[in-house]
Amino acid sequence: MQEQSSGEELFATRNMDLHILDHRLRVTSISKNGLVNFTHPLIKLIFLRNRTRCKFFSLTETPENYTVVLDEEGFKELRPSEHLQVESSIWLPLNVVSNGNASSSSQAVGVTKIAKSVIAPLAQQHVSVFMLSTYQTDFILVKEKDLSVVVSTLEEEFNIYKEEGGESVPVHCQDVSNGLHKNGREAIQPTVHPVLIPKNQFCVMSLDPDTLPSIATTLIDVLFYSSSPKEDPQSSPSQECVKFFSFSLIDGYISLVMDTEAQRQFPADLLFTSSSGELWRMVRIGGQPLGFDECGIVAQISQPLADSDISAYYISTFSFDHALVPEEDIVSVTDMLQHQRNEPATS
Amino acid sequence: MSGSKPDILWSPHHPDRYVICDSELGLYRIGPVGSAEAKAGTLPLSEETAATLLAINSDTPYMKCVAWYPKHEPECLLAVGQANGRVVLTSLGQSHNSACKELVGKEFVPKHARQCNTLAWNPVDSNLLAAGLDKHRADFSVLIWDISSKLSPETSVAAEKIRLSSVDLDSSTVVTKPLYELGQNDACLSLCWLLRDPKLLLAGMHRNLAIFDLRNTSQKTFVNTKAIQGVTVDPHFHDRVASFFEGQVAIWDLRKFEKPVLTLTEQPKPLTKVAWCPTRTGLLATLTRDSNIIRLYDMQHTPTPIGDETEPTIIERSVQPCESQIGSFAWHPSSQNRMVVVSATNRVMTDFTVFERISLAWSSTTSLMWACGRHLYECVEDSAEGVESMIEKDIATKMRERAQSRYGHDTVQVWRNHLLAGGKDAQLKSLWHDLFYILSVSHMKQCAEDMELKLQGNVQSVVYSGIKNIVKTTSGTTESRRCWIGSDRQTDVLRYHSEERCLALRLCGWISRGTDTDVENFLRSLEQEHEWERAAAVALFNLDIRRAIQILNKGAMAEKGDLNLNVVAMALSGYTDEKSSLWREMCSSLRLQLKNPYLCIMFAFLTSEPGAYDGVLYESSVAVRDRVAFACMFLNDAQLPRYIDRLTLEMKEAGNLEGILLTGLTKDGVDLMESYVDRTGDVQTASFCMLKGSPGEVLKDPRVQCWIENYRNLLDAWRFWHKRAEFDIHRGKLDPSSKPLAQVFVSCNFCGKSISYSCSTIPHQGRGFSQYGVSGSPTKSKVTSCPGCRKPLPRCALCLMNMGTPVSNCQGTGKSDEKVDLTRENKLAQFNNWFTWCHNCRHGGHAGHMLSWFRDHTECPVSACTCKCMQLDTTGNLVPSDSS
Repeated sequence: MQEQSSGEELFATRNMDLHILDHRLRVTSISKNGLVNFTHPLIKLIFLRNRTRCKFFSLTETPENYTVVLDEEGFKELRPSEHLQVESSIWLPLNVVSNGNASSSSQAVGVTKIAKSVIAPLAQQHVSVFMLSTYQTDFILVKEKDLSVVVSTLEEEFNIYKEEGGESVPVHCQDVSNGLHKNGREAIQPTVHPVLIPKNQFCVMSLDPDTLPSIATTLIDVLFYSSSPKEDPQSSPSQECVKFFSFSLIDGYISLVMDTEAQRQFPADLLFTSSSGELWRMVRIGGQPLGFDECGIVAQISQPLADSDISAYYISTFSFDHALVPEEDIVSVTDMLQHQRNEPATS
Repeated sequence: MSGSKPDILWSPHHPDRYVICDSELGLYRIGPVGSAEAKAGTLPLSEETAATLLAINSDTPYMKCVAWYPKHEPECLLAVGQANGRVVLTSLGQSHNSACKELVGKEFVPKHARQCNTLAWNPVDSNLLAAGLDKHRADFSVLIWDISSKLSPETSVAAEKIRLSSVDLDSSTVVTKPLYELGQNDACLSLCWLLRDPKLLLAGMHRNLAIFDLRNTSQKTFVNTKAIQGVTVDPHFHDRVASFFEGQVAIWDLRKFEKPVLTLTEQPKPLTKVAWCPTRTGLLATLTRDSNIIRLYDMQHTPTPIGDETEPTIIERSVQPCESQIGSFAWHPSSQNRMVVVSATNRVMTDFTVFERISLAWSSTTSLMWACGRHLYECVEDSAEGVESMIEKDIATKMRERAQSRYGHDTVQVWRNHLLAGGKDAQLKSLWHDLFYILSVSHMKQCAEDMELKLQGNVQSVVYSGIKNIVKTTSGTTESRRCWIGSDRQTDVLRYHSEERCLALRLCGWISRGTDTDVENFLRSLEQEHEWERAAAVALFNLDIRRAIQILNKGAMAEKGDLNLNVVAMALSGYTDEKSSLWREMCSSLRLQLKNPYLCIMFAFLTSEPGAYDGVLYESSVAVRDRVAFACMFLNDAQLPRYIDRLTLEMKEAGNLEGILLTGLTKDGVDLMESYVDRTGDVQTASFCMLKGSPGEVLKDPRVQCWIENYRNLLDAWRFWHKRAEFDIHRGKLDPSSKPLAQVFVSCNFCGKSISYSCSTIPHQGRGFSQYGVSGSPTKSKVTSCPGCRKPLPRCALCLMNMGTPVSNCQGTGKSDEKVDLTRENKLAQFNNWFTWCHNCRHGGHAGHMLSWFRDHTECPVSACTCKCMQLDTTGNLVPSDSS
């Protein structure tokens, strides 16, 4: 039995927990043309929860490809194919839990809350992160080999726990590795990537897993049959709408990110979101595929947003990163990003 | 209850209504099957009850959980938690109720939509409704809504910083401001208000159980655990809480909340519901997925969780209310141990009452008691004296009565013991007569061992070993053919003689001494007892028809005599030995119609061929002793042992005490007695009977020892301590080996030697306690010091005299009791001098002084001592229930 006070002062130093979740993840990409080869495993992973032991599944459709992030159980379902690209690392999801601390003055949600405490320090230590925001929470994926650096970097700020078989075990630096091995490449100044801000409005939503069967046909339609021939990704003008749809089923929780056009195809009363019903705009980061080794990309975006206390969701995919910001803040965000690109040296 | 999985809720106030919720809400009324039969559409729930569907509500889709408003008014108000986290108030079949109307349709909307997992109404402040939600980022997961809160947003003081777009606050029925927000950054899976304080809310959060206090919401008490589902507080024991995780139930005590007080055995399938029985303390019902049984855990004996040292005992059992798989169940709020069960599919309902385990207690005085649920039944033997009871009294009652009438203690006229036993039991009568004959024969032999010396082996053992063994050794048998007495007609009946046969006849009681075959004494005694038929039969078997006729005539003329005996006498007088006579023919067929067995065997004897007397020998209503005596007279050496063996076996199997005549007090006799005890439970008779046996193997038999010990225990249980003592004395006389050795010694405080032992070591005297004024006259001897070291014995705490000094005068006896017999008074006086002391404080003194002290006091007589000596003795306050 523990008595806990959520009074700010008492736990001012460390009122945040960082959980290293019990999933070992692979980041893969399925090409648009090769999707037909993977419909069976994808349908199984999405709809037949009881038939698979996969506990972490995320599928994001972008104009370029389908990014599938899934745990090793789920990965077994995907047969190797020329259409399947697999990032070689094992990724571990991190999750920040604030200890019921309501004192934070910021009303912002998403990566903004962890920009300074997690993302910036990791960027400084040259740890590459893969972000996955859902309706429920934000997952920070790091490579398994970087874990010791992550722990030693974040130990100052967080109580770190590793989840093993449903138990949270406290983790300290020495548990992870004997010595601190730093990622090199100190001097490299992060590249400032071009951004793209499409016009469509997005919503972040959730769904009762029990009602998933009732939207199955719509979901299949949106996921697999959306790219009609007329909408060739290469030809779509950059300032127009960009196809983006994300579905994730993680530990039994469903999260959906879709534009308003896709949302209209779903029954109105089944999907739910925040009572404020806010809409989001997307900022796509990267002109060329970003790869998995470069670090500081998320920090580049999240830091200025945090400075301005603007909420943001952030979804990395195989090729590009995507930030979602509130619709009402898009103007200031655009200004800020343009400013950043005009003065790259100061960032 | 998600999707198709149903749940049941009983109305908190209508004992006959419940709601089933699956995709919709259905209100049912339960009633007896007869009255409901008239209406169509009733669903049978059990053999006696049926349910009628009263109303359906399908206004609220995506229901996740439902809770019934706990107060009387409005009576059918339900809160429904939905998949998107909204809580809607709804109602069933209450259209006219205005109080309800105001609330129905009211919605409580969380800031961020996510599943509502659980709902709980505050049992006291029923305006408060707690909702447990899934986790959403940094939002709160436990929201407490005030259902009476004014709907307009402006009245909600200090509106929180919710950025509400105007999209959904269209209607005035939506409340978005909870009264309390708890459990930030967490998920809530189950909730219950604590009954010990309605301001406390217990919540099963993600990986911890937390207690929130509404008076100080910044504080919470929590314990990390996985067992966070289905938290429920025991309605009978407000500090006890159950929760579960997958297949395991954890029981918590809120006063010792660090870890579960116990965890129940894990089930292979995940649990779906755990509920305390509201009508019975400590009964927990659990249900697992895909199961058709409900497991019950009875935790009656675990009221306090005093750590590990008191390992609680739980009785686990399962009940199967119906064939199909169970979706959910709900205990009836008031009807004892009753529940309604709904199947996992098709909404098949079953009304089911868990049958209580029955506990039974049987007192040593025949009354029987059993408890079932809240009922206590007592079964007492009908002891109406005057009425001739149809049913025989219970053996325990009989034994008690017999113990009081000193049954078994008449060691001189042993046969009289059957009179002490009430004189009604034929078997006991036979038994005690057998023992009487055995004892008198053996006694006689000890005195005059003249011709019996010829018998092989130990005389006594032969006598004790029963007729079966006596006839086995028969030798030198002579046969004789005699005339009918008083007639010169020769009989063709062969009669056999031998010493063994003669001894057997004596044991049967037919003849009294020597080889004299005269039965006249026996006949006279039978006549005295008005056993006319038996006497006539004995006379006839001794070939004295005239005497037999004479006896029958006498019987017919006697008071209340049966005149038919004259008719029998007449028939008897017509006896002819001609084989083909009409007399013979008629007698042999009509004899079977005679009711009296002795009359029957008389004619059987007369009409049968010589040597073939089955009609006599196998007439089971004739006393065994008479049949055996008959056999000894008329069966030859080959037939006799065969017949006796057969009869012995029959008696042993039936446990018939008459068979003791045949078996004697041998191992065979113990076998027979064993089946008698098995049949009747009469350890009393068994004990007394076997004590009469010659000391030796019979008494050593473990069965005999068992009967004796049981009889002693029985006497103790009846608090017949004096009877027990008497029995032990009696036993000690007959079986000296049973006398217990001294177990308690009084040792000297100074030298540590036993004061009685040390005197016995003094060679010239074998002194016992008698010297210490314990026995004999007070003036006889005074030893007040240890014989070993000559130091004084301790002093009596009351009279302050050294022990060994006799009690001066018996203060207890009043003047009126002066005529009490002196022996008894003497004995008491002796006991008054006895040493006694408390094992706890070690103070003591003369027994008489102590007894009178503790009659009025509870504390030790030594002034500084606060020991409650008498209360330490559990039997000290009991009073013997026999009076001697």
